[in-house]
Amino acid sequence: MKLRILLADDHEIVRRGLRSLLEKHEGWEVCGEASDGRDAIEKALQLKPDVVIVDIGMPNLNGLDTTRQLLQHDPQFKVIVLTITDSDQVIREALDAGARGFVLKSDAARDLVTAVEALQNKRMFFTPRVNDLVLAGFLEKGHSVTRNDPPKLPTLTAREREITQLLAEGNSSKEVACLLNLSTKTVETHRSNIMRKLSFHSIRDLVVYAIKNNLIQIEIPPPPPKSPAGSTAV
Amino acid sequence: MAIRILLVDDHPVVRQGLKTLLEGRVGWEVIGEAADGAEAVEKARDLNPDVMVLDVTMPRMNGLEACRLLRTQAPQLEILFVTQHDSPQMMREALDAGARGYVVKSNAARDLLAAVEAVSQHRVFTALNGRDAAGVR
Repeated sequence: MKLRILLADDHEIVRRGLRSLLEKHEGWEVCGEASDGRDAIEKALQLKPDVVIVDIGMPNLNGLDTTRQLLQHDPQFKVIVLTITDSDQVIREALDAGARGFVLKSDAARDLVTAVEALQNKRMFFTPRVNDLVLAGFLEKGHSVTRNDPPKLPTLTAREREITQLLAEGNSSKEVACLLNLSTKTVETHRSNIMRKLSFHSIRDLVVYAIKNNLIQIEIPPPPPKSPAGSTAV
Repeated sequence: MAIRILLVDDHPVVRQGLKTLLEGRVGWEVIGEAADGAEAVEKARDLNPDVMVLDVTMPRMNGLEACRLLRTQAPQLEILFVTQHDSPQMMREALDAGARGYVVKSNAARDLLAAVEAVSQHRVFTALNGRDAAGVR
């Protein structure tokens, strides 16, 4: 029987690349594709794939919350998170969300097949940096070392995280209500609770929080050319 | 019409996705790939492609720098940016650097083929997400 894989990434061109890479492997098939987290959850519940590959930076519902929600629905789901960064915070959140694989997008052509093979054999797959972090955490356990982690903000519920992402992406309360099938009043109540919990006073604070906590990701443009002299615009 | 294309993006998976799309067209051939701007400049010199599909944000040398260099070194080469940056400012910068086309990565599956066709015929093709469908001049 073939191993069935569900791909979730908001870029169709990336999904094409991933599909082409995975389908070269005998005995594997991509049984479905999703373009955001909500679509991924719906398709995963419907298609029951053996492995779900999710991009972290998806609109509407990011990959980490998608992973959390998928595993709440069914702890048997095996999820590989695709990411553009392997910062400590992203690694911790991916492990905490329950991902069994963690692959950098830049290394996907090399690592993704190995990661799926690992999950197929009931093992996990992480980049060397994740392994180092996990080992460091393990060695630290039991020692009375004061860690220099930043003070933690109050925890948001899954629903509040979803609403935070959608608001930070520029949706109004009415649009959020429509996307989540809630009343505008319910969204406004969640919004007030979020702002109160985090002691925020503006949507700008919420956007900064969403970026810092990987609810949304932004692309930073390259710096302007160093020496304008000599360069000619055509 | 036969078109020889050089693909430039630092993510191999993105290059693979672009390649499968482009090679679906009869006569179009991806003759080479590069992972950064410096490699793109080198391969453009060696392979002499008709069209370069170029990313903006890459290590070593970004796409805008590579584009400026190529304008003087390979004036016959047509450059099409395929980028994550859905911004009119970035699009203006790319055209000022000498590109003939600009497509947003999230819409590449929709716009890429029309864009390559247009720039290969020396026509401008620009398309930003949600603001303006494909525009050809």
